[in-house]
Formats: sequence, structure tokens, C-alpha cells
Amino acid sequence: MLNLCLKTPFSTKLEMKMDTLRKSLASMALFFTPILAMAADEVIAPPKEFSLANYDWISILSVLLALLIILVVARAFDIGALTEKITGKSVVKWNDVNAWVGVIVLVAGLIGVWYELKYHSIYLMLGNSASAHGSTYDSMFYWTFGFTFFVFIVTEVLLFYFMFRYRYSADRKAHYYFHNNKLEVIWTIVPTIVLTFLVLRGFTTWSKITTEIPKESQEVEVFAYQFGWKARYAGDDNNLGNSNFTLISGTNPLGVAEDNAVDELVKELEAEVVKIKGLQASINDSVAVWKKNHDYMVSTGLSRTYPEEYKTVKTKYTDGISGAYERTLEKDLKRKMTNLSRIVEYKKDRTFFDGSAKDDKITTEIVLVKNKPYVFKFRARDVIHSAYMPDFRVQMNCVPGMPTQFAFTPTMTTEETRKARNNAEYDYYLYCNKICGGAHYNMKIKVTVVDSEAEYNTWMASQAPFVAPVAVPAPAGAAPSGDSATVAPVTPTVAMK
Amino acid sequence: MSTAAMHAEHHHHEEHHHHESFISKYVFSMDHKMISKQFLITGMIMGMVGMIMSLLFRLQLAWPDEQFSILETLLGKWAVDGKLDPNFYMGLVTIHGTIMVFYVLTAGLSGTFSNLLIPLQVGARDMASPFMNMLSYWFFLASSVVLLISVGVETGPASGGWTVYPPLSALEKAMPGSGLGMTLWLVAIALFIVSSLLGGINYISTVLNMRTKGMSMNRMPLTIWAFFFTAILGLLSFPVLLGAALFLIFDRSFGTSFYLSDIYLEGVGALENIGGSPVLYQHLFWFLGHPEVYIILMPALGITSEVISCNARKPIFGYTAMVISLMGISFLSFIVWGHHMFITGMNPFLGSVFMILTLIIAVPSAVKAFNYITTLWRGNLRFTPAMLFSIGLVSFFISGGLTGIYLGNAALDIQLHDSYFVVAHFHLVMGSAAIFGMFAGIYHWFPKMYGRMMNNTLGYVHFWMTFITAYLVFFPMHFMGLAGVPRRYYQFTLVKEFDVWMDVNKLITVSAIAAGVAQLFFLWNFFYSIFRGKKAGTNPWQATTLEWSTPEERIHGNWPGEIPTVYRGPHEYSRPDREEDFFPQYIPDESDLAQTETQKTKTAPSESEVEETESASVFFAAIKRVFGLS
Repeated sequence: MLNLCLKTPFSTKLEMKMDTLRKSLASMALFFTPILAMAADEVIAPPKEFSLANYDWISILSVLLALLIILVVARAFDIGALTEKITGKSVVKWNDVNAWVGVIVLVAGLIGVWYELKYHSIYLMLGNSASAHGSTYDSMFYWTFGFTFFVFIVTEVLLFYFMFRYRYSADRKAHYYFHNNKLEVIWTIVPTIVLTFLVLRGFTTWSKITTEIPKESQEVEVFAYQFGWKARYAGDDNNLGNSNFTLISGTNPLGVAEDNAVDELVKELEAEVVKIKGLQASINDSVAVWKKNHDYMVSTGLSRTYPEEYKTVKTKYTDGISGAYERTLEKDLKRKMTNLSRIVEYKKDRTFFDGSAKDDKITTEIVLVKNKPYVFKFRARDVIHSAYMPDFRVQMNCVPGMPTQFAFTPTMTTEETRKARNNAEYDYYLYCNKICGGAHYNMKIKVTVVDSEAEYNTWMASQAPFVAPVAVPAPAGAAPSGDSATVAPVTPTVAMK
Repeated sequence: MSTAAMHAEHHHHEEHHHHESFISKYVFSMDHKMISKQFLITGMIMGMVGMIMSLLFRLQLAWPDEQFSILETLLGKWAVDGKLDPNFYMGLVTIHGTIMVFYVLTAGLSGTFSNLLIPLQVGARDMASPFMNMLSYWFFLASSVVLLISVGVETGPASGGWTVYPPLSALEKAMPGSGLGMTLWLVAIALFIVSSLLGGINYISTVLNMRTKGMSMNRMPLTIWAFFFTAILGLLSFPVLLGAALFLIFDRSFGTSFYLSDIYLEGVGALENIGGSPVLYQHLFWFLGHPEVYIILMPALGITSEVISCNARKPIFGYTAMVISLMGISFLSFIVWGHHMFITGMNPFLGSVFMILTLIIAVPSAVKAFNYITTLWRGNLRFTPAMLFSIGLVSFFISGGLTGIYLGNAALDIQLHDSYFVVAHFHLVMGSAAIFGMFAGIYHWFPKMYGRMMNNTLGYVHFWMTFITAYLVFFPMHFMGLAGVPRRYYQFTLVKEFDVWMDVNKLITVSAIAAGVAQLFFLWNFFYSIFRGKKAGTNPWQATTLEWSTPEERIHGNWPGEIPTVYRGPHEYSRPDREEDFFPQYIPDESDLAQTETQKTKTAPSESEVEETESASVFFAAIKRVFGLS
């Protein structure tokens, strides 16, 4: 069997072999019988794998049993067919059976639908929308729901009723009926009218939601990255500072146009350029060292004892020999230089660096005031993300290189929704809803709606402005603090060459 | 080429082919029937792989905190301690989607039945180009192999979802799966597109040029119409995907910026790319992606039309309306791709336009559904497994199609986009419906493929289990989606707001496993019947179409003597003036015989004349049918 999970770099050769043996025996045991496993148990001291409890024997046996049953059933049907052939009588009238099963399935299905609607109705967007446009949205939804549900019931019932009613009978001949213009016109026109209604309503709803932005709306920047969110509020000057992806650094996760942070970034980049140039100058020496290491490991047989280490050494060696290493360095250098020159260009533009970013507040939670209009301005740093707030009926993709926005007005505070949902721990969240990598499922930021401007101001006061000396925002790369990172178990292996 | 000349030539041609070696008969076969079986078996294998993948990630969703030691045995480092790795979960989701959409429901369905039925039902010896047809299969097989290999590479398979949106798929360092796995995915898709184009050209030219005497366009079975439009859709849309894939390859490997702009990658820094647009990729992708949905669905609808008509012992209701609605769907499918992109930040006005166009598609779809139901009305229904699967298809087509009215509405899409509602919608309307069409086709034409019958009773067990479990799997997902549960989440335990769906997730997984078990009945039935099934005879279903006139022995060239002539439309069941309840297309009645006699006395027209008159008559016939003049 596959032993891909073996991770024993420092075990000796023998140990590894033993381990392999154990593993393969274990797998054999899994695939044959428990007896074999027990036999193996006597030969080798019982390692972890042999504990019977480790395997879900019940499931394995039940799977085997199920397979057996399938086989038996299959054969039984064959025998049944044979009996019918020999006796010349049909044992079971399958045509009637199928018609009846159809009816039963239909009834059971409709009961199931009713149960779902009843049981899950509180999640069916019944008065739960927490934003102003949410009620428009919900009414659109219910019109569509009413229409489609009616059609769904009628057509499905007809389908299964006809299936039952017109099941085969030798005494009857089917009605030779292939065309009826009037009928066909009716069921072309009627859906067209209903759809026209839905389209027009949808059109007005959509236009209203996407284009009507109240002038007094407050702007909040929502910034997406792998794997978290940050929000940026304008400071006292009520003006969100400019930003650009070239300006992003560890201390400036959103890349805002602020002189000190950018100067720091320039210094960092310059240092990196020097470092890369140094590496370039000593390429030959490095490759020689790697070659020596590689040859040594091969000649002494260490390469087989430490396969993992050997792999790293070999990769370096082959990259060095093939010139891949040199090309990587060149690319890195070029990228850093481009970045540097772009920053220098930006720095010249003093209207871009207008100082309004200084008092911006970058937060790890979004707090909104009830009944106050907002425009969320979305930016993404690396890949496409999607800001999804189901409670507010808000969703918009965050696309690198293309700012997007969504305007809405929250109408229910967190507290109110908790009461409405009868769940004291319920919170609004902004989720990521566009596949963005391994930890996509854990990319969220808490959204709180408070009742009054005062509560909001208290919270705002507790947030540090961008250039305050006391609180430097968390570096972008590290696990972001706050709610969006309460659990961050997975980060993809981003390995820099 | 005149049809008569073609017949003679083929007849002559066919006599040389009686002694074929094993290789030329079973491996590098140029017989459309063998190629269709090759497509079918490969599609079935891919289908099994795709389904097992779905079971693996369903296990994770239902029991996120359990450890399944079997997973570690199977997947090694991707399931350390029996818990699926999040990156591999994404890989499974991606490859499951790719396999099901392209390999099972495009090649497996369209490839199998277009190949089998087009020559048989229009009355041709083989495809227009048997060699290209063979190439089409081998490109498909190569593509399948590459895709399967990509699952085993060290960094994992492509894992950005089956739509592989850049920048995630373009940047090797954005995700492990975007490395070698993604490269192999692109190679596999490029090969697949070649296969699809080779097949499509063949289907179109065979349908247009190689119909037998009397088989005018308006006498073609609806399967052929469906395959014909499907092939046209594929031919026009797949090259666009190839373009999108090429741009992506350029961005990945040659430093261009078609899709990349303003990107800062953790551990790498700000990238140089400026001026590209990730949304461009989405436009290109969905320009294929939406027609692709109909490439999947239409053959299934065509198969259903034939099967329902045959087993209801009734002509299909509204043949012309069925053809026109297929035509309408095909045309509209090219101008609605934007409904996949309402919330990508595309101009809202563009969203409105796409919304209007999208909802128009509901009209021809509704016509189709109503016509199916009316065909059942006052029929004499025989529930063969094929018939049951067709009825199942209609049921899925309705339930899944209706939710399309929500998703096609830009306003409603705000909430529903990328939620489980979408998963429910497309799995019903295109996943389950199309796979049911495929099953219907297999049960119905198995006698034509292997000369034997499948066991009906096992077919019933297979159908009811699959039908019920499919609804149990996909119907509850609607409600999850409405509540705002996002798709492609590895687990929901980190969001306590989603805890209420834990039970539903378990129900879905258990049903999915049961659905998997149901397929074992089918597999047993299929392979057992190939060798031990009851002998079928020439026309076991008492059907009217041309393929049932071929002899029991399945020969290269299809008909031993002359190709039969066609005298009437494809669905002459239960005609009041006939004793029997079916009247095959290829059996002349007295008036037809008299007509052929008079025709024979006329002098044969020259080749060019034939072509002109034929195409003209097809055109006018279509016009007449549209306006009900005929």
C-alpha cells in the first residue's frame, strides 16, 4: 500500500523497513480478514496500527455485507425472471408496482417539502433581513417563490399522476395525439407573461439596490487577503486616504499612502535588492557548495538514510546546475526593482500622499450604526474574494485591480437579531464566498450593528489611528488578530524559493 | 455527393471489413458503435472516480471532527490521522466538478450516444470521418489519463474550483494546487477540447450530409436534433475556452498580464503585473461555461424525448415545438453567460441585460417540460427502466429548472450567488437530470450496443434508489443556500451560526452513500448483462426509429444490404389506422410504395442539383413547420 504518510527522517534504515512492513501488513489486514491481522500481531510487537479499535470494523463489515446483499438481490431477480420464463406467468406485475411506487414517492416527497418549509422556515428569510434594501429583496423573493412553488407542485403532481393513471394496459391503445397549436401557444404565452412580470420587478429591484447610493453614506473600506479581512474607517478628517498595492508592507497591510510607512518599505526593498545582488555575485560558489553536499550524500549513502534532507539538497543542486536558481534571483530582483521604481513615482505625486491616511483606522471588526447608510468599498490583495453578508442581503466580489462597492443601510442591531432569532450568541459575519485557497472556510470578519452613534464612537475611540506610535497594526503576513483569526489552523505551504 | 452513390460506395467499402484484427476491432476501432462503447466505458470509469471523490468530501462535511482511518490508508499524506486536508478537499471538489461536467456528462453522454445513434438513426454506414472519430476518442482518453495523473502529483491537483478563476489558478504560490496540478489540468482540458471539436465536426457533417433516402430534417428523431444542436454549441464555444486556457497558460508561464493586476502575494511581495483583469477570464470561461450546461443537458433531453415517446406508445407531443425550443435554447445559451457574474463587480446595467436574456430561456424550457407531461397524458405507459429514468429526468428538470428563475434574477442572485442554493440548482437541473438521461439511454439502447437485454427488475431497484437519494441529497441544499451557507467550505464547525445545518449535512452524506451503493446494482447489471443477458432480438421495445431495423449481428456498416428508406416521422405510435401500436419509419405502406415507383421513373438529378434542392427543401420545410403550414 501507499506509505505517503511516513514521516521518519531520523529513523534508521531498519526501522523504516519495519515500519513499511507493519503498514503494509496493516493494510492487508484491512483488506482481508481480522484473522490475518491477529496472526501478524503475534509476529511483531503490536504497534498502534494493529489495535483493532483503530479500524471501524463495523463499517467495513457492513459495507461487505451490503455488497453481498446486492449480489444476492441481483441473483434473486435473475431467478425470478427465469421462473417467469419457465412458468410463462408474471410473478409480479412490475408495471403496476412502479406506478404505485411513483405515487408513494410523490406523497412522501411533498410531505418532505412541507416538513422542510415548516422546520426550516425561520431561516427562509422571513422578516430576518437586517438591511433597508433587504425588505425589497425579500418581497421579490416571495413573489418568485410563490410562482415557482405553484408551478412545482402542479407539474410534479401531474407528472406522477399521469404516470399512475395511464400505466400500461393491454386493452387500451394510447391516444394518437401529437399536436395542438392552441395548447402550445397557451403554455408559451403564460410563462412569458409571468416571467415578464418577474423580470420587470427584478430589474427595478436590482437597479435600486445597485445604483441608489445616498449622498450622506459613510465609506468603509473592506480589504480582503488570504485569509482574512480588514476594515478601514476614515479618521477625524472624514476622508479615506489613498492606497495602492505597491505600497503594501508588513507594517502597512493595506498599502495606504503614508510617508513614513512607505519610506520604511523603500528601505526594506533596497536592502533586499542588495541582498539579491550579493547572492547573484556568489552564484558559482553556492552551486559548488551544493554540488559538494549533494555528491557527499550520494557517495556516503546518506541520501538513502535521510531521504527528506536529500530531497532538499538535490533540489538546490539541480536548480543551481540548470540555471533555475539564477533565473529565480533575476526575477526576484526585477520584481523588487519594478516595485521600487513604482513607489518612487508615487512618492513624487504629492496629491496622492495628501496626508489623509494618517488618521485612518484599520480594524479587525466592522461596527456599524443602525439606520445609517454605508458604502462598502472592496479591495482584494491577492486573489478574488467575495464579501458575503447574508443577514444584510449583501454580496460583492473583491477583485485585485478592480475596486468594487456595495451600498446598504443596516436596520437591525445585533441585539435585535439575537432576540428575533432567539439565539443569544448570534453574530453577524462577513464571510468569504469565493474560493480563495485552503483556509477559505475560515475567512470571516465580525460585523456588529449598534444602536446609537455614541456606542459607535466609544468603539471608534478604542481603535488606533494608522500612524499612532503606540499601536502598529499587525503585520499582514502574521495571523491576523481579532475575530477573523480565532482559529486559523491552516495556511497553505507558501514556500519562497 | 448523391445519397445513392454514397450508399453504393459504402456498401462496397464495407465488404472489405469483415475480417478485422483484435486491435482494429476493439482498440483502434473506426466503427462508430465500438467508439461509442469506448466512450461509455471510459465515461463510466470517470463517473465512478468522480462519485467516490464526492463521497470523500461529503464524509468531511458530515463528520468534520471524526477520524476515518480508511482515508489515511487511501490518501496518505492528504488525510493525516484520517482527517481530510483542506487543500486536498478543494482539490477533490475541483476534480469532481471537472470530471462530472466534462468527462462524464459531456464526453460520456454526448460522446456515447451521438456516436451510437447519429449514424444508426439517420441511416448512415458510419460517421462522416471514422478516422477523426477514432482520434476524438483517443484524445479524450489521453485527457482523462492526464487529469487522473494530476490527482496524484505531490502538490495536489488543481484546486481552485472547476472554474479555475485566476488569480488563484494563475499564481503558483497562491495555493499548492495551482502548481503542477493546475498545469496538468490545463493540458487535460486542452486535449479534451480537441477531442470535443473532432467529435462535434463529425456529428454535424454526418447529420447534414449523410441522411438516408427520405430522412428529411423534419423526420429526424429528437435525439438527432439534440445531438446536432449540442455539436454546434460545442463547436462554437469550446474554442473560446481554449483561448481562455491559453491566456492562462501565458500568464502562468510567460509573464503576461491578461488576468493579473495589482497583486501583492504573501511571501513574494508586489507583483509586476498591471492592467489585466480577472473578470476577463470569467467572461471567456462562461462564454463556454453556459453553453456547456446545455451541451450537457440537451442530449439528455433528446434521449428522454425518444424514450418517453416509445414507452408511452404515443407520438411526442409537439415535435416542432420541441425542435424550436431546442433551437431557442441553443441560441439563447450564447448570450446569457453574464448571469454567472452578476456580483463580480460588472456594470450593474450589464447585469440587467443578462437577467432579461436569462429569464427568456425559461420559456422554451417550460414548453419542453409541458410537452413531456402532455406526451404522458392518455398514453399507455410501459415502465421500462429507461422510461422511469426519463420520467425522473423530467422531474429533476422541473425542480432544478424552477430555481433557475431565482438565480437568473440579478437581484435575488445577490444573496444566493455561490451559496448551497446554486449547488442544489445545478446538481438537479444539469447533474441529476443529465445523468438520468444517460441512464435512460443506456437502458434503452443497451440491446443495440450488446445485443442483449439488461435485467429490468434490477433496473427498477437502481432507479428508485437513485431517484429518492438524489432528491434527498440535493433538495435540502436549497434551504441551506437560502440561509446563506456558502459553498466550497471545508467545514462549518468554525461558524456557530451554521451549526443548525449539521443534521442536514449528515442526512445528505448518508443519502449520497446510499446513492453510491445504488450504482453498484447498475454496474453489476451492466457487466453481467453484456455476457449473460437475455438475447434482445432486433426490436425489443417495438420502437419506430431506424436503428431498430439493423440486424441482430452488429456489423461494421450497420446494414448488410441497402440502407432502408424512411417514409415518415419518427414517432408513429398507436396510429388509429394501424393494427399494431407502432409503425416504424422504415416500413412502407401502400401509398409510399406507389410514390417510390413514380420517383424511380424520373431521371436522376446531377450531384449539385441534389444538394441545392435538398438544402432548399430543408429550409422551406423548417419555415413551413415554424408557421404551421405543412
